[in-house]
Amino acid sequence: MASIPSKLYSDDVSLLMLLLDTNPFLWTGANTTTTSLPFPGFLTHVLSFLNSILLLNQLNQVVVIATGVNSCDYIYDSSSSLQKTADSSENGRMPILCSRLLSKLEEFVIEDERLSKDDSPEGIVSSLLSGSLSLALCYIQRVFRSGPLHPQPRILCLQGSPDGPEQYVAIMNAIFSAQRSMVPIDSCVIGAQHSAFLQQASYITGGVYLKPQLPDGLFQYLSTVFATDLLSRNFLRLPKPVGVDFRASCFCHKKTIDMGYICSVCLSIFCKHHKKCSTCGSVFGQALGDTSSTDRKRKTPET
Amino acid sequence: MAAGQVVMRAKYKTSVKDPGIPGVLKMTWDKFIFTPNDPRSSGKLDVGFKSIKGHMFSKEGSKKALLNLTQYQGGGYIFEFDKFPDRDVCRDFVGKVLGKLQSVVPSGQDAKVVSERSPATVQDEQLSPEEMERRIKLLRDASELQKLHKEFVITGILTEAEFWATRKKLLDVDGSKTSKQRVGFKSAMLADVRPLTDGRTNKVTFSLTPEIIHQIFAEKPAVHQAYLNFVPSKMSEKDFWTKYCRAEYLHRTKNAVAAAAEAAEDEELAVFLKDDDILAQEARQKIRRVDPTLDMEADEGDDYMHLLDHGILRDGIKETTDLQYELYKRTLSQDLNRHAAVVLEGRALEMELGDTRTVAEALARSKQAELATKISDENAYQERLERASRMTEIEDLQAPRTLPFAPLCIKDPREYFDSQQANALKALGDAVAGTRPMNCTLSTEEAYGSFRELISEMRAAGLSDPVVKPEVSLKVLNGLTQHLSSTKYNLGKSAQESVLDTLPKSTKEELLHHWTSIQELLKHFWSSYPITTSYLYDKVSRIKDAMSHIYPKLQEIKESVQSDFRHQVSLLVQPMLQALDAAFAHYDADLQKRSTRSGDRPNGFV
Amino acid sequence: MPQVKIIAKNFMDMVAALPALKLDMLYDNGFICEAVLRSLPPLAKKYVLQMLYIDNSIPAKSMEEWVLAEGLSKHKNAIDRLTQLRVFLETVDRKKETSYILNPKFQSNLRKYLMYGGVSPREPMPSSVTVRLPSLEDLEAYALEQWESFLLQLISPSQADKPTNFSSSVMKVFQRGLLSQRDKEAPRLTEKGFQFLLMDTNAQLWYIIREYISNSEDRGVDSADLISFLLELSFHVAGEAYNLNTLTEVQRNTFKDLADLGLVKLQQGRKESWFIPTKLATNLSVSLSDSSSRKQGFVVVETNFRTYAYSSSKLHCEILRLFSRVEYQLPNLIVGAITKESLYSAFQNGISSEQIISFLQQNAHPRVAERTPSVPENVTDQIRLWETDLNRVEMTPAHLYDEFPSKDVFEAACDYARDNGGLLWDDSKRMRLVVKAEIHMQMREYLRRQKQ
Repeated sequence: MASIPSKLYSDDVSLLMLLLDTNPFLWTGANTTTTSLPFPGFLTHVLSFLNSILLLNQLNQVVVIATGVNSCDYIYDSSSSLQKTADSSENGRMPILCSRLLSKLEEFVIEDERLSKDDSPEGIVSSLLSGSLSLALCYIQRVFRSGPLHPQPRILCLQGSPDGPEQYVAIMNAIFSAQRSMVPIDSCVIGAQHSAFLQQASYITGGVYLKPQLPDGLFQYLSTVFATDLLSRNFLRLPKPVGVDFRASCFCHKKTIDMGYICSVCLSIFCKHHKKCSTCGSVFGQALGDTSSTDRKRKTPET
Repeated sequence: MAAGQVVMRAKYKTSVKDPGIPGVLKMTWDKFIFTPNDPRSSGKLDVGFKSIKGHMFSKEGSKKALLNLTQYQGGGYIFEFDKFPDRDVCRDFVGKVLGKLQSVVPSGQDAKVVSERSPATVQDEQLSPEEMERRIKLLRDASELQKLHKEFVITGILTEAEFWATRKKLLDVDGSKTSKQRVGFKSAMLADVRPLTDGRTNKVTFSLTPEIIHQIFAEKPAVHQAYLNFVPSKMSEKDFWTKYCRAEYLHRTKNAVAAAAEAAEDEELAVFLKDDDILAQEARQKIRRVDPTLDMEADEGDDYMHLLDHGILRDGIKETTDLQYELYKRTLSQDLNRHAAVVLEGRALEMELGDTRTVAEALARSKQAELATKISDENAYQERLERASRMTEIEDLQAPRTLPFAPLCIKDPREYFDSQQANALKALGDAVAGTRPMNCTLSTEEAYGSFRELISEMRAAGLSDPVVKPEVSLKVLNGLTQHLSSTKYNLGKSAQESVLDTLPKSTKEELLHHWTSIQELLKHFWSSYPITTSYLYDKVSRIKDAMSHIYPKLQEIKESVQSDFRHQVSLLVQPMLQALDAAFAHYDADLQKRSTRSGDRPNGFV
Repeated sequence: MPQVKIIAKNFMDMVAALPALKLDMLYDNGFICEAVLRSLPPLAKKYVLQMLYIDNSIPAKSMEEWVLAEGLSKHKNAIDRLTQLRVFLETVDRKKETSYILNPKFQSNLRKYLMYGGVSPREPMPSSVTVRLPSLEDLEAYALEQWESFLLQLISPSQADKPTNFSSSVMKVFQRGLLSQRDKEAPRLTEKGFQFLLMDTNAQLWYIIREYISNSEDRGVDSADLISFLLELSFHVAGEAYNLNTLTEVQRNTFKDLADLGLVKLQQGRKESWFIPTKLATNLSVSLSDSSSRKQGFVVVETNFRTYAYSSSKLHCEILRLFSRVEYQLPNLIVGAITKESLYSAFQNGISSEQIISFLQQNAHPRVAERTPSVPENVTDQIRLWETDLNRVEMTPAHLYDEFPSKDVFEAACDYARDNGGLLWDDSKRMRLVVKAEIHMQMREYLRRQKQ
């Protein structure tokens, strides 16, 4: 008729935001112990996965965001590269997607290194998950606003680095905004330990959290679980973690507690009464001593 | 009580006034029988409790110890007892019986949960009818609450008072809602005391009632002031009102000239005739309180006074103004406005209307309170100024108004969040216990360098083919499938779905009910510690007994469900059992401590 | 649009109906595999993906483990499709356990795709050879023009100003079912024809192509070849020029027809000639997917029965004219009114009110499409009411019986007719009754028996 509609999206058309953990400390050094999958192998799995997503539907869209230690950036966007097929693959050994992604990744790593401040970091080096989550959500918002016909977005975090506690608030905010805009966050943890953040992220947003037992079979995990479009998820049973522990732990002894004291200002949790909040420094009013409080409580039933 | 029947000497009366037939009242679980002492008497009764709707009783300390059992059909049986304790025994029994009956009858039917006011109601609690009403209403509205009430109060585990003590808030909230309406002034203009002329003589009669006086005081502060000043030091009350009426009369007859003349003679009278200074001041205050942003000009065109025949008629005569004596004239509109203001203020006639003096003083007190608010008016004035400036300002030119706030300062975020993570790791670090989290012996440069190498290596080598070995693939797929089928029954199909929903409805409800009742019991249990009185000691042991009855019930539920759900149910029951166990452990420990510390006081007194 | 699904599905049915040998041969071509994969229902796509690197067969039972109770029908549907298309090969072992294995050809082709990504079927010609290629917009306009003129010729041959390449016999095939022609009258649109007009372009295209393929054997062209060629075509890049020399003779002949449909544009250079696929061609495989594709609508219906159609298409104007009075036409706007008269003429042409309403709803302008209902309720109700106006009188063939010899006979006859469900009317006073024509014979038989 008048024109071929500019967008023909249907329910199973997906927009996959893939957050790639590019923490160099994760992939290098004594990496053989952290992940049994070396980076090239890992990337092979991921790239094949991306290709398979694009294969499933001509309208599927894939965006890759690199999560570095100091920065994060978009390194591949299948929608923007559609027009430029002319600069054909460099040596025919790999698809265009792959070569383009790799060159962008290289640039990104150089930039990320330039931004790093100290020479040899001590302790845990975590990647900037909050930043890449925000980038992904921004992109999704743009897609949402582009019109009534848009692909169904979802986020997939391929995370290996440990959680960065200082990002807690930012990540939680990202999670809640994802929840609000009904974007599921899938997480595939490739590192040595589970990620509490991603567990919560997937739980809250209704995504899938999975930590592959066999790193060699990463592609199989990706294609079996994470390639499932949102429409099909209504009909399928996907692996769910056995449980997410939402119990809080006290800040003073890091014990998991069922009942405790909460700072009314910063919501820090303590297992026993303190005079002052050790986190924000708020001075607590003199709590009613044990005797007085129980007395007060008890009076009522007696009357 | 426990015997299931009560026998008491009482008098049966058909009405309160009736002298009554002496006899013996015998109550059992299903009926009560009254046998008159005189076998020939006709007052023999044999009535089933089923026909009894509720019971009423006279307050302790009133003249007679009465118990009235009302019937559904209306009417009732009144018994008079010799002593209050006798009556109380019967009353408590009746309460119990009715409570039991009502719990059999579906609660929605009549919604009269009324007489669950039960035995425990109470040794020391005399409730006002409103209070009772409120509780009954609450119970009726919340079936959950009603269930709990039935379970614990009716069976005597908790007393009525104990039950409600933890729910004070419910009662309060409810109470504030039902505050009674306060009666204000009538909107009719009573303040104009009409003179009554008998037509034959020249005598003019004014009739003043306390209510009218009160209203006069309210509407005419000057009169009120004068009354406080003059009566009774300067003149008697009668003289005062005579003078007032005289002034009123002069107003009424529009005799401005005469009014002026008389005012010159009598300064007290002048007080009534002149414009009310206090009123004027109040008016000024009100004008100041007018919203400065109000556009008065917009109403200017609505001035009907300038149009012909639009003046206000008072008693059928058009008011005309005579400038000269204006001081002594009051216009109808002034009166109207004043009256309206008073009505709107809604000063209630709370005090007993009787003594004029007390009325005047009470009014003065309330005025005083108003004065206090006038001081706050000064602040309000400031606020008005601000508001005016805000309304007239040009928004672009103003600095942004930011609310003062104290920024949240978190000294070390690591401390804040590490704990969470440590916890999560502890819980989840299942298979990977042995692996080190991450090796950070590398410097940044080294790490980035080798990472870049990896990338370029990959660019050169391309993708490895095949991506996955078929064996590995198969293993993964089988592993996932197995994982799925193993978790299929343990968890809901989605994370959000509660396990409870998969259970049969009856089981679910039963579990929830047990959960609430356990919570209720535990609340009372823990609030009784430390035990300081024998009362508490009793209460704790009562609750403990009740709690011990829950164990077998839970076990029963567990066994009654189908084997598919048994695992889930036991998971759900687990926390309940834990909570109960904790309570029992505490009870035992406390008992032990008590016995070692004070072996000579076995009763629990501290 | 549901029609798209049906039509597109029908096309895949046609593929599925090919003999196994031919089907397996088709899968030699990677593009066919790709197109077939894309045409599968979402769940089936997922199944293919997870089987991609598995050489063993997977028992059906273990696949069902993944399915929720709500999804069982979808699962069945997906598996059926996969086996029909021979993507999954079913094996039943001794224990009667069904298991599936991915078609090895299909598998290896897709694995290749994963490694190397999507590649164009043929290299586009260097821009040095092709002088000046039309821009994408020009190409789209061209495709549209071709398609519309084809459609116009299809539905009203007299109005078409440009004759197409199709032989009249082929055209007849297309017209079959869409037009009905009584003797000496101008051909009229049938109900199906109207529905055809209301479909979106892709669905119409698939309809035509299906017809085209189904009679390809008559023209001496193998249908499997044609299918694979068409599917391959859809993987070319729109706007790029491809050398015609890379095609076989048969394919080149086919191209002339495709150019008429607006799928490709043929250009002649100095030495060589080439074809440029248009978006119509590249969208072919997209619209194959089972998903419901939506398109931007253009019609706004107001509560006062006026319609505003933001379109410059002559075709749209014609469609609107079918059921509304077109009042004026601006360059990009057609203003019309839905009137009783216009609707009556539509009803007379065999168009139902529901078709009109669903057309208005499906083509609602995005601004109004957001609202519910997208077409004002009073308008839809009125359209339905006007339709029922025409159906006030119901015709039932019947027979009238009278002059019964006696009351008893009459009543017995009435009862008999009633028992057989054929009594329409009776008048006991004058002893007359009307009976449905179906039971006339029985009735006569009965009365004859009564007489004896």
